[in-house]
Amino acid sequence: MTDAPVIGIVGGDVPRQLVLAAGAIPRRLLGSWSGPVSDRAASLLGAVDPVAARILTELLAPAATLPAALVVCNDSSAHLRLFYVLRLLRDEGLPPVHLLDLPRRDSAEARRFAAVQLRALAEFCAEVTGRLPTAAALGTAADAEREVGAAVAALRDRRRTTPPAVTGTTALAALIAAQTLPPADAVARLEAAVEAVDPAAVRVHVTGSGHPDPSVYAAIEQAGSVIVSDDVDTGDLAWFGETAGGDLAAACTHLADRHFTRAVAAPVSLTAERAAGARLRAAAGGAEVAVSIRRVGDDGPAWDLPAARKELADVGIPVVGCAIADAGGLAEVRATIQALRAGTAES
Amino acid sequence: MSGERLPSAAAATSYQREWFQEVRGAAAAGEPIALLNADAPHEVFRALGIPYVVNQWWASVIAAKRLAPQSLAVLTERGLPDDSQQYDALGLGAQDLPPEQAPWGGLPEPAFAVAERSGDITHRIFELWGQRPGTETFLLSRTAAVPAPERWWDSVAQRPDEVFGAARIDLLAAEIRELVAWLEERTGRTLDLDRLAEIMALGNEQAEWNRRTRDLIAGARPTPIAVTDSMPSVMVPQWHRGTQWAVDAARRLHDEVAERIAAAEGIWPGERRRMMWIGRGLWSDLELYRSFQEDFDAVFVWSMYLAIAADGYARYDDDPIRALAARFVGLTDLLYVPPMSSSWYVKEALSHGVDGVVHLVADDTPGSAFISQALEAQGIPVLEIVANNADSRSTAAARVKERITEFIRTRVAAPA
Repeated sequence: MTDAPVIGIVGGDVPRQLVLAAGAIPRRLLGSWSGPVSDRAASLLGAVDPVAARILTELLAPAATLPAALVVCNDSSAHLRLFYVLRLLRDEGLPPVHLLDLPRRDSAEARRFAAVQLRALAEFCAEVTGRLPTAAALGTAADAEREVGAAVAALRDRRRTTPPAVTGTTALAALIAAQTLPPADAVARLEAAVEAVDPAAVRVHVTGSGHPDPSVYAAIEQAGSVIVSDDVDTGDLAWFGETAGGDLAAACTHLADRHFTRAVAAPVSLTAERAAGARLRAAAGGAEVAVSIRRVGDDGPAWDLPAARKELADVGIPVVGCAIADAGGLAEVRATIQALRAGTAES
Repeated sequence: MSGERLPSAAAATSYQREWFQEVRGAAAAGEPIALLNADAPHEVFRALGIPYVVNQWWASVIAAKRLAPQSLAVLTERGLPDDSQQYDALGLGAQDLPPEQAPWGGLPEPAFAVAERSGDITHRIFELWGQRPGTETFLLSRTAAVPAPERWWDSVAQRPDEVFGAARIDLLAAEIRELVAWLEERTGRTLDLDRLAEIMALGNEQAEWNRRTRDLIAGARPTPIAVTDSMPSVMVPQWHRGTQWAVDAARRLHDEVAERIAAAEGIWPGERRRMMWIGRGLWSDLELYRSFQEDFDAVFVWSMYLAIAADGYARYDDDPIRALAARFVGLTDLLYVPPMSSSWYVKEALSHGVDGVVHLVADDTPGSAFISQALEAQGIPVLEIVANNADSRSTAAARVKERITEFIRTRVAAPA
């Protein structure tokens, strides 16, 4: 247990070390695949990915347990829209909210802009905790975050063994939990993600929309499949373990540089990035089949699907595409995965 | 009653047709042309002598020719969605229509496709343009609206740093310089900064004429011109921003409006209900705007095109590239991000004496609820219709005319 204030984070761009070094716990706010969207949230946000609408619904709920502050990443149009709404609702008892606006197009100027953004993030966290990150605090936070990173890497390796030493559902649940816990607890949660897996299960890679909870993974793995890899930002591409040395200025510069070189699976990513990432990770995971899941309300994966098919076909991995609102509509996907393994279907 | 087309609108439409055929001719002769999203810095292309077609203008032509369904079907055949950001995607689909169907002879294959990375989808569409033979894509960053001040129109022309933030403008200015270098490398041409400064000055002059015109219309009773005329009268010159022709066209519109006001000419003498259209134009059914006059004496007096041309485009800075960055860094934020957007629409509604608002809400535009709320708080009733302006399937399903009729009947009282 810790008394450190919790800073709620929407999106995947926050380097956890900065928040930890300011003396706060970064807790990713994820929403869910299913659950109610309040009329007010729907009205305020309009047509957005319903996961973002569920995050707002939870924040506006009368009995909500609110973090000390909120950081929203500009990594999706839904998140940006959520920020604009939260900014206007600041007089309604919501925590202070800050936007982390990291550009996607790499250049010297963009890296400078990003470093300034990360500095502003640290200062925002310091307004909550009273502690602007010092070099010493950054070092301590780096040590803790490296432990988390190592545990994440080990989990990723366990997913890829033959047979896998953990299901995709359990792995994703652990990764998601780790994004809400203090570092030591996160490590314990990740290290505990071990289980026996049917060696005959079809090895599956998941791409497309992000996954705020493991329900869809569980639905896919119900009958003879195991998700060995993914390119989603709460799973294999969650930003763990990234650390920088030196003082705050040096750390922000380094982390800004890393933002532009790390693999990202954000809704604002390019199609080419997503497709290449899917290919790389599916091949590394030894996937036999890939599933591209488009959540209704999240259009990016629909535009990415043809490119993903092409990239994955180049490494011999067929793709099953689907558009779903929740975990309930996957019977056909499960059947197609099995048929592809058996050679009785085409992707 | 003035039922005939406004001369400046007819002239603009005619000019655009002739210009487009010139672009087709230039492309056929081997000149590179560009496809630009509306929020890309057009002025760079003008300064380099590269003809450009604006994606959203082209989409309006496709929609007006009733070719949107076929264009979207082309996307579906390629495994792409036909129900996502249709306004931005129409051109991509139309590019592969059979030649005999292509509007105005068809858009030549662009050498360059340029857009800002706004939202989740636009850049994906432009990535696909860049996969076509002979087309290369350049994407610019799109940072978020922080800050987002009200009353931005008082300072945006002279002090854009206050409205958008200096760092955001600096970033886009740096990327525009990269774009220039990229184009120079590919065309062998060199950007003349003095030429760009001249283009920016002409754009500012055009904006000033638009402002005067908007102010005239706001104060006039009855409204002197139809929005279906102001749209092309304003927007065609906008796509030619930075030319003397565009300045002259904006002045011509102003003078025609002034003449009509002086002669007490209105488009509907029985005008009793003054309506505001917020959102993109309904290109596939422009007749809609005048279809409430006879039954309700309801006249659309406002659309965003003239108003944003009046308030949102002028930028004064000795550095023309920085001025250009300041123009495009957050142009659409002015329309969609509260409280910048909501405060502006309220200002416009009050100055125009608006009695009711139809708010066409698209999936890709944020902040609609705040706009509607702000207007209702002023006692101005709002009808929100969620539909895609470029997709006739969407607008048909939304029962646009039926709902506006009911709205006017039940909520838009005619002043006594």
